[in-house]
Amino acid sequence: MRALQYVSMLFVIIPLTALIVCSLIKRSRQNAAFYLLSAFAAAQVGLALYGLMLFNSLNISEYSFGFHITQAVADVFTLKPASLVMLLCIGLVSFTSLLVAYKTMPANKKLSYLRLLSALIIGMNGIVLVNDLFTMYLFIEIIGISSFVLISTTKTEEGLESAFIYLVMSSLASIMLLTGLAFIFMRTGSLKFEYLIAINNTSAEVSQNALTYLSYILVISGLLIKTGAVPFHSWLPDAHQSADTSVSVLLSGIVIKAAGVYCLMRVTDIFGNLYAIRLSLAILGVITIAVGAMFALHQNHFKRILAYSSVSQMGYMLLGISAGGILGFIGTMLHIFNHAVFKSTLFTNAAALHEEVHTLDIDKLGGLQKQMPITATTSLIAFLSTAGIPPLSGFWSKLLIIIALWKANFIGFAAAALVLSIFTAAYFLRLQMNVFWGQTPEHLQSIKEVKGTIRFAEIMLTIITIAVGLGFPFILLFLEASGII
Amino acid sequence: MNFIELAILTTGFLLILAGCYCLMRTYHIIKILIGIEVAMKAVTLFIAYAAHINGKIGLAQSFIITIIVVEVVVAVVLAGISLNLYKKYQSMDLRNIRKLRG
Repeated sequence: MRALQYVSMLFVIIPLTALIVCSLIKRSRQNAAFYLLSAFAAAQVGLALYGLMLFNSLNISEYSFGFHITQAVADVFTLKPASLVMLLCIGLVSFTSLLVAYKTMPANKKLSYLRLLSALIIGMNGIVLVNDLFTMYLFIEIIGISSFVLISTTKTEEGLESAFIYLVMSSLASIMLLTGLAFIFMRTGSLKFEYLIAINNTSAEVSQNALTYLSYILVISGLLIKTGAVPFHSWLPDAHQSADTSVSVLLSGIVIKAAGVYCLMRVTDIFGNLYAIRLSLAILGVITIAVGAMFALHQNHFKRILAYSSVSQMGYMLLGISAGGILGFIGTMLHIFNHAVFKSTLFTNAAALHEEVHTLDIDKLGGLQKQMPITATTSLIAFLSTAGIPPLSGFWSKLLIIIALWKANFIGFAAAALVLSIFTAAYFLRLQMNVFWGQTPEHLQSIKEVKGTIRFAEIMLTIITIAVGLGFPFILLFLEASGII
Repeated sequence: MNFIELAILTTGFLLILAGCYCLMRTYHIIKILIGIEVAMKAVTLFIAYAAHINGKIGLAQSFIITIIVVEVVVAVVLAGISLNLYKKYQSMDLRNIRKLRG
């Protein structure tokens, strides 16, 4: 218990320290700040794994902690196994982003990137630890503000414009979310998760009421904008395309999940097992998968294809949430982790191509298999994992989501999810063929494989994809032993 | 429900509608900023009304103050982005600023 207390406090203290150090450090020492922040991100991965081991050995399901200054902030945070998985993803993606930024960020922007990244990690670590709705809103805004500035740091026209679109869309999300919160607050007088769950289970007068339904719709729509689900997805590809690649890694890898999917999971948890909400989330999920995949088929920009692919994968997570139950929950968490890993790999490949070839237009690329073998292979493995080809990690999480849908009697949705994963394979095959396979054009003959931190990140993430995929039967055995499957 | 409560609720709804209309139907960047601010103010009105109903005034006060701080930060970031966009395009009209397809 003592160890868990220290570990949980470190998740709050580490990013705060990082922000203070990065704000105080001189520009001439910015590389030191880089190493420090990378060490912190790696430490977060280690701590999250250690925390999971502690949870397993202590056999508890959650642990509340806070700052014992006054009674009001004594238990502001709650650590759960699910939040530990999210913290693991946050550490991993931030580490990858730092590795990529070491090469791609312009030298005069590095320090501001580091400061904003630590602010972003504060927001994301906070959001997975909170236990009331208002604090959740606050951390969503912290994440939002740091991502707007991160997208526009390079001050290109596209960057500024997409940051503007993102800001307007997420202001709309905040307005919806807060109006919903005001209605919930009006009915119940508290925004604590535990209290809301209890009152929804006991009092039918509160849980089945027009105002309550209205507030659910508002809160869920607000979070869907943040997720980038289909009617609200327009900001996502723009932001991903025009930001620096290290920022795209962060946005696609973790921001849309921490501020969107994870919050949606917590919120649907509160609202109980309402069939109407689950059904509408499932329908939205299928539409999101289909539309994301269709748009991805028609793009010519490498990062734009990846962004639409993220939209499409968000649909699988929505399906997992809508399936409900412990199995859907586990499937969604694992898909969040797997998506963080393989989408970071693909964006790292985009960074490698941009560093070496200086373009990401897939019509101008071609036949780079010989010139860039590591990038080509890692990209192939990541895309096989995204498409759900058996031994790799992406297959297992999709399988769990589909089984959960089947068990929840959403058989049509399960079939749709299966069929639509063919489209995933289609657009990635098009990408792989246009960029890496086929004849090498004259002007690309002299391209060399990328070196240094980007190559390291590619190899590291691919090893994780393969290892998780091969080790997954052990996780399944563990789940079976716990009586979940 | 007495007259004042009704007036607060109606004002809140009208302000939110006005803010969202401003957000979606105007093309000037500063008008969009004002729209966001107006809608957020309406939300604080709702929270104040909620506290009036359930009697938790202390909690609602802290909520409202936090929201005001957050929205000022958002407004500052938006103003900074708009300033940079103006420097690039010499225009505040969104119809002139269309590099991306959306």
